[in-house]
Amino acid sequence: MISRSAIGQSAGRALRRSRCTAQPAGRRGLAAPASGSFQYQTADVSGTKIASRDLAGPTTALALVSKAGSRSQWLPGLSEGLEGFAFKNTNKRSALRITREVELLGGEYSTYRTREALVLGTKFMREDLPYFVELLSEIATQTKYQEHVWHEEVEPHIKAAQSKFLGSTLEMATNSAHGLAFHRGLGTPLFPTSSVPTTKYLDPETIEAFSYAAYAKPNIALVANGADSAELQKWVGEYFAGARGSTPEGVPSLSASQAKYHGGEERIAHAKGNTIVIAFPGSSSFTGGFYKPEIAVLACLLGGKSSIKWSPGYSLLSKGCADFTGAHVDTNSLIYSDAGLLAITITGVAKDVAGAAAKAVETIKAVANGQIAKEDIQKAVAQAKFKELDFGHNIWAGIELTGSGLITGGKAYQLDDTGKAIGAVTEDQLKKVAKSLLDSKASVSTVGDLFALPYAEDLGLKV
Amino acid sequence: MSQPSLAKFVLKRPWLKRWMQPISDWYLANAGYRSLGLRADDLIPEENEVVQLALKRLPPKEAYDRVFRMRRAFQCSLAHQLLPRAEHTMPEDDVPYLTPLIEEIEAEIKEREDLDSMVVKKR
Repeated sequence: MISRSAIGQSAGRALRRSRCTAQPAGRRGLAAPASGSFQYQTADVSGTKIASRDLAGPTTALALVSKAGSRSQWLPGLSEGLEGFAFKNTNKRSALRITREVELLGGEYSTYRTREALVLGTKFMREDLPYFVELLSEIATQTKYQEHVWHEEVEPHIKAAQSKFLGSTLEMATNSAHGLAFHRGLGTPLFPTSSVPTTKYLDPETIEAFSYAAYAKPNIALVANGADSAELQKWVGEYFAGARGSTPEGVPSLSASQAKYHGGEERIAHAKGNTIVIAFPGSSSFTGGFYKPEIAVLACLLGGKSSIKWSPGYSLLSKGCADFTGAHVDTNSLIYSDAGLLAITITGVAKDVAGAAAKAVETIKAVANGQIAKEDIQKAVAQAKFKELDFGHNIWAGIELTGSGLITGGKAYQLDDTGKAIGAVTEDQLKKVAKSLLDSKASVSTVGDLFALPYAEDLGLKV
Repeated sequence: MSQPSLAKFVLKRPWLKRWMQPISDWYLANAGYRSLGLRADDLIPEENEVVQLALKRLPPKEAYDRVFRMRRAFQCSLAHQLLPRAEHTMPEDDVPYLTPLIEEIEAEIKEREDLDSMVVKKR
């Protein structure tokens, strides 16, 4: 039974909140629903960057975004090791206690890692904000990097993740394509492909040293969805005062050289499936210097995956590859802070994958030559814009992109602006960008039955 | 498993410590394990999960030395001999290397049991 007083209280709070955030109807744009704007409010609390938006609702998602993705590790696997040590024993309390306390508050925590960021995420009731800010600061500054935790908990996870990675042709091909495109830095695989890192490079002391750089104030940002900016500033100011102001001497700083696109081809034999990833230089994040909204539209136009059930959808590749029933095609615009990839991923039966890959290249050529119906382009623009804005409804929306943007450029990822830019993409821009893709070197990674899968040159790509 | 011990009680009281120290020294010298080259922590029974885990957590060097001391002691015991006096364990070498690990693991277990049986009180 829910007690009456509980309903009364929360209803009152909800009422108060809606009164604060309600805007006059005339000022409401497309991307500004009544519940508040998608705009992040940013601030700098004595060196720690924070961004928050006060979405109405009883819950908050708070994340500590660190620059410590696989891109900036100085030894292979460091980022993964650091992820493993998050929410483990600290000087103040044990990992078990952290878990139980978070459970008692009804919250949850998770960690994940991308090429550019390590995200320690928490979700909880609005009023528990101070507890979770303190928890995140404790993890950043007080974690104990213990030998036995490494051997008993972190290392087995790394090994399991590695064998999962090696069993998936899709993961292998995606990482190999990144390696081809960017070599070191952004190209570093998310998961180590051999056991060398765990045996040769990683140990708790090295990971601790990495944590000094990873959780130094210039390399972290706190991003909150559903928290009041003033309140977040207050608590961050209190709890993150003890964080390192800069990377200590003797510890390499997290490198941030501009990613350079190389391209090339890699073929890996694999028995468990067939994947071809065809990647082209794409768009950086909005906060980076190389933002190209037309890449997002082109990704939707090429598509491959239908957004509507029981229908192939309008996208060129889902229509074009309808004959290759054994192949799944998907096109994504992979966005990083200062570079990006437009990646066409084809997975499935070897024969169909080969056919679909050839079709995909043909389709890009058709786009470059302007042989595309105007209607399809309109649909692609609409879908790309919708995807971008729909992203904003998700509570985790852009947390990571915002965090990365803040760390690298001091700018938050604003959905309102990107939505507008995507909406303005024209047919000519699309043609031009498709042509430039074909002129540049592609990064083609083929994993699977190499006898049946084609070489990039056979597909008509420059590598 | 750590054994029941009065040591903490005694150490807290300097007068009692002064009084007990000679007895302790005499007892340890006569217990005989030092003349086989062992340390006190080598004598902890290891047939239980807690000590097994503690042994796994020993640093490689410590674990190797422990096995060495035990093999040497076995050999002495089989041959009905004591080690030459120079190789006896010196009192200053006889440090607890395993007990801290065991206590840590016991604290972990106790914390888990306490948290499992906690009663949440709403304020």
